[in-house]
Amino acid sequence: MRDIDPLFQAISYYRRRKFEQCVEVTSTLLEKNPNDQVAWLLKMRALTEQLYVDETEVADDGLADMLDDNAFHQTPMPGTSMRQPTAITNTGMSGPSPAMRPTTMTGRPITGMLRLNSQSTQGGKSMENALKTARTAATARPVTTATGRFVRLGTASMLSTPDGPFLQVGRLNLPKYAQNQAVSRSLFEHLFYHANDVRAALQLATHANEVYQNKDWWWLAQLGKCYHRLDMFRDSEKQYVISLEIQPMVDTYLYLSRIYLRLDQPLLSITKLQEGLEKFPFEPCLIQAIARIHEGLNDMKQSIEHYRQVLKLDNTNIEAIACIAANHFYYEQPEISLKFYRRLLQMGVATSAIFTNIALCCFHAQQYDMIVACFLKALGCATTDDERAEIWYNIGEMALYTADIHLAIQCFRLALVHNNDHAEAYNNLGLVELQRDNNEIGQIYLQTAQSLAPHMFEPYYNYGKSMYEQGDLQSSFRAIKSSLDIYKNHADSKHIYDELRKMFSEL
Amino acid sequence: MLIPIFSLQLNNKVFPRTFAVGKFDGKKPSLIGATAGNKVFIHSPHDINPQAQQLDGSVSFLNVNQVITSLACGQLDEQLEKDLLVVGTNTHIIAYDMERNVDLFFQEIQDGANAITIGSWGELPETLAIVGGNCSIHGFNKKCEDILWTVTGDNVSALSLLDFNSDGYNELVVGSEDYDIRVFREDQLIADMQESEIVVSICPLINGKFAYALSNGTIGVYERSNRQWRIKSRNMAIVLETFDIDGDGVEELVTGWSNGKVDIRNDRSGEVIFKDSLAASVAGIVKADYRIAGENSLICCTNEGEVRGYKFSVQDENLAVAHTFKSNQEAVRDLLQKKQTLLLEIQNIENVGKAHKELDDQFGTIEVLTEIPASTEIQTGLAVEKAGNDLPGHVAIKIKTTNGTIIRAVTIFAEGLFRGECYVVHPAAHQLQENVTVPIVLPRDAAVDLHLQIFVGLKTSKLFHIFDLTRPLPIFSMYTIIENSSQNEPKGYVTFSINERISRIVLWINHHFLLAEECAADPASLYVTFLCVRTDAKLVIRMQNTGHVRIQTDDIELAGNIIQSMGKFLKIENLHTNGDFPLEFELLQQVFSQIEEYQAARQRISSDMAEHASIIRSFLIRAEDARLMGDIPIMKQHYIDLLHLNRDLINGYTIRCTSHEELMRHLRFLNQMVQKAGNLRLGKYKTNTINHCRVAIKGNNVELLIKSIRSGTV
Repeated sequence: MRDIDPLFQAISYYRRRKFEQCVEVTSTLLEKNPNDQVAWLLKMRALTEQLYVDETEVADDGLADMLDDNAFHQTPMPGTSMRQPTAITNTGMSGPSPAMRPTTMTGRPITGMLRLNSQSTQGGKSMENALKTARTAATARPVTTATGRFVRLGTASMLSTPDGPFLQVGRLNLPKYAQNQAVSRSLFEHLFYHANDVRAALQLATHANEVYQNKDWWWLAQLGKCYHRLDMFRDSEKQYVISLEIQPMVDTYLYLSRIYLRLDQPLLSITKLQEGLEKFPFEPCLIQAIARIHEGLNDMKQSIEHYRQVLKLDNTNIEAIACIAANHFYYEQPEISLKFYRRLLQMGVATSAIFTNIALCCFHAQQYDMIVACFLKALGCATTDDERAEIWYNIGEMALYTADIHLAIQCFRLALVHNNDHAEAYNNLGLVELQRDNNEIGQIYLQTAQSLAPHMFEPYYNYGKSMYEQGDLQSSFRAIKSSLDIYKNHADSKHIYDELRKMFSEL
Repeated sequence: MLIPIFSLQLNNKVFPRTFAVGKFDGKKPSLIGATAGNKVFIHSPHDINPQAQQLDGSVSFLNVNQVITSLACGQLDEQLEKDLLVVGTNTHIIAYDMERNVDLFFQEIQDGANAITIGSWGELPETLAIVGGNCSIHGFNKKCEDILWTVTGDNVSALSLLDFNSDGYNELVVGSEDYDIRVFREDQLIADMQESEIVVSICPLINGKFAYALSNGTIGVYERSNRQWRIKSRNMAIVLETFDIDGDGVEELVTGWSNGKVDIRNDRSGEVIFKDSLAASVAGIVKADYRIAGENSLICCTNEGEVRGYKFSVQDENLAVAHTFKSNQEAVRDLLQKKQTLLLEIQNIENVGKAHKELDDQFGTIEVLTEIPASTEIQTGLAVEKAGNDLPGHVAIKIKTTNGTIIRAVTIFAEGLFRGECYVVHPAAHQLQENVTVPIVLPRDAAVDLHLQIFVGLKTSKLFHIFDLTRPLPIFSMYTIIENSSQNEPKGYVTFSINERISRIVLWINHHFLLAEECAADPASLYVTFLCVRTDAKLVIRMQNTGHVRIQTDDIELAGNIIQSMGKFLKIENLHTNGDFPLEFELLQQVFSQIEEYQAARQRISSDMAEHASIIRSFLIRAEDARLMGDIPIMKQHYIDLLHLNRDLINGYTIRCTSHEELMRHLRFLNQMVQKAGNLRLGKYKTNTINHCRVAIKGNNVELLIKSIRSGTV
């Protein structure tokens, strides 16, 4: 059999998304003839595709972004800002209380799906606090938006080209390339995604916009993306808006909405997305983005409503199904959420988290026969220690419900073996120990839980209660106050608080 | 009368003229103002926001992150039925909906925003946020569309919307740094008043009257284009506001001064009827139903953040009696004072007489005149002098007495001509003569009235007689007529045709130039050459008996002034002209290309700075991490890196600042050019020209711009 033409082979590899082979073939081609433009372009594109990420999904707030005052209003009205922690203002909020539905570190109810930006720790915390907050493997955030990507993409690009970088960015004659329509776009993407040299990419985009006299929506949007990465939100916003005027695009609407989120104007973000929906009425991405913002604003009703709309358009949307299922579970309708989880299983999403969730739903729906099987399956599917810790914790929870204290203790210990920072497990262990009259050990467990998860009110309340019972009123008062700081309307905490105040005032 | 009802501390600095009140939820008023750190504070005691209640002194902040130059509150969007906040910075304008935490718009505005007002302008249907910047005025609607654009002579320093000519529609009154108050009916200039300093505040009164304040401490009131009264103070007036303090339904003028004084004056006479004093300079005065709904109170705020509220209260009887008693007493005191001065005068005269008697007694023979001769007259002459003998070109005022009496001193009052408005000449005692020459340099072409006070007496006398004289200086005083010659004629020119006889133009020349002898009218053609003694540049005016006029000068501003003055004199409403100013156009082209360069450079610098800033942030976090872990050497290393980067950042910032200043200078030149181009035409052609220029600038098309300036059309 005769050899295939190497260029054809490379193109074929590229189209089959076998980028590594494609790079190999084009590299040999370029060794033979360094001026082979087709091979050069193909290699560049293959390298870019390897590292391509959907920019609409990545924009995780970095720790350092707390240093900036991007938000316009420091104390906006409740329900108009992402920074309003529920715990303080939950009086006016819809949805279940933190006692029913656990919260994330921001004080927002836990979502049905783990995604970027759902774990940020901005909520009203000082820099020092945020830095001190346990940054475990599961909760670590990038230091800044830029460095987060630097690490990820930097290492990746070094791996893929062991003999030095493909392009010497500093030597590129950007104005010349900007003129060349065939190359400029690929070159831009390469600079932006692969080389991660935003400044060079920005220069290229600026030159290209000069060439097109600011009439090309794609280049305008790319310029906006560069500014976005450099955290120059207002410049970025301007470019996106002009780009949308020329050519409405779903992506651009999503970028724009992200900008407004970073500027802490979620309502404006929603407005822009709805404008986008008028142009693209059947676009699930836009609706999904709206649903996420509502979720961030603690407006669960609206959020679920939008997730339902997403499902009507795209009935295999995992995020929508998972969020609706979680919501039903916390609204005490485990049977319905079971249906949704089953749908996920049917779609082939068989992760340990789903089996755990099904097991919990079964337990609450009193279908006890399924529980053990599900947990076993979950343990079988689990790939990371974190997952195993969560599963063991949940099994321990079941054991508590069935009053099997010894099994519970063993489960929680196992959870801690897998994940040493599991605050909930510490909390429950502490409670069990208190019940067994091992007060000292129990209190130490609770204190550990407090330091690991400052966003949870339970360890504080439990600690306060045990101290109250033992008669250490001062410590009790302190703990109860912390609990009330996190969750203002916790009735039990309030009760103890009132009692304590009465006692202190009698003194 | 006013009584203080509340007083509070904001504990924040308040920048002058950025203090306002707005009902951001449509019901409850909040005080807002610009404060240090590029922030806007909001004081809202009625706030239902639970987070805001925990704040110190119920003051919360908005981060603007740019230098705030002005702010305003108003119903920009009538449908929302609540006030929106509009903040102007030196590069942007932000309209913000406080209740929903949403930007209405965030618009780049290159000319900066020195003053903002919100309201309806002329017959335009929408409410506009009118922004005055670097020689330009923009009107934005709620969708951020630039509905109206026009230019003024210099940086806008004060804006106000009021019904100037009582036609039921609002006109825009603009005060600018070239000491002018201009009135715009939409984009048409309908009135223009010269003042003597930068106008810092304008405030509407009733019946088309408005009050103004200047940066030299003058405040006054105009009724249409006629000034009713003005007063001058050592301190500077910061803000003007109106408030009805005597309950007669007519609002009086409230002034806040830089020394913390707040006074209220009658708008007809300028008489002070209420006074109070605050601890620091007044930053703003507003009127709002702040404490009790429906009842307006007057709220004053100082630079240091002290706020004091007053409300109107009906006088009770005792107070009225006390008041009449007080005014009686004041009258008595006034009369006593008058008596005192009269007594003093008599004493003086007696003293002089006595001195003479004593002299008579001593020498007996020497005749000393006590009075100057009754026939003494003062002759004054005005002449334009060319530069030379260490003196620049100037207008010389020659004052001479008709007999042997001497002139001890001359004081000259002229509005806006001298610093402090007054100029005193007093020769040394041994140089006293019967004539005095005062050189005056007029910095710009404007008609001024010179009020002269001449102290005349005898060589020995200690008391002098004062002569009061008024001499008007015509608008083009600094030009002298010279020989016609075709050499070195100015290259720039403007031509137009009018239906007037030459003699009328000659009459205009005689009225508006300072000529030694009047220009004679030649019915066939007119050809005169002037020399500007200020710049040594030539000005040629020619006219054929067909009515074709050609004015040659290289100064486009001068050409505009001549046309405006001619138009006023000859009562021409609309005039279309053609012109060419090669020197100015060359400059314009340079400026245009420089502006583009600066903008490109600015973009590059700011992206560099953004990248630096993000690296600095990560260093800071890493350093803090190291500190919390107790790893001091690494922390130190990070902080040293941070220091270097920071230095770079500061350098970048200085470069950016200087380039921004340059950019502003060029933009101002551009806007002034457009204004001068407009001045070359009259009436609707003027508006057309400005609009064409605007289109050309928006399209970044310098050829089109020059063409529009030349011909007034596209």
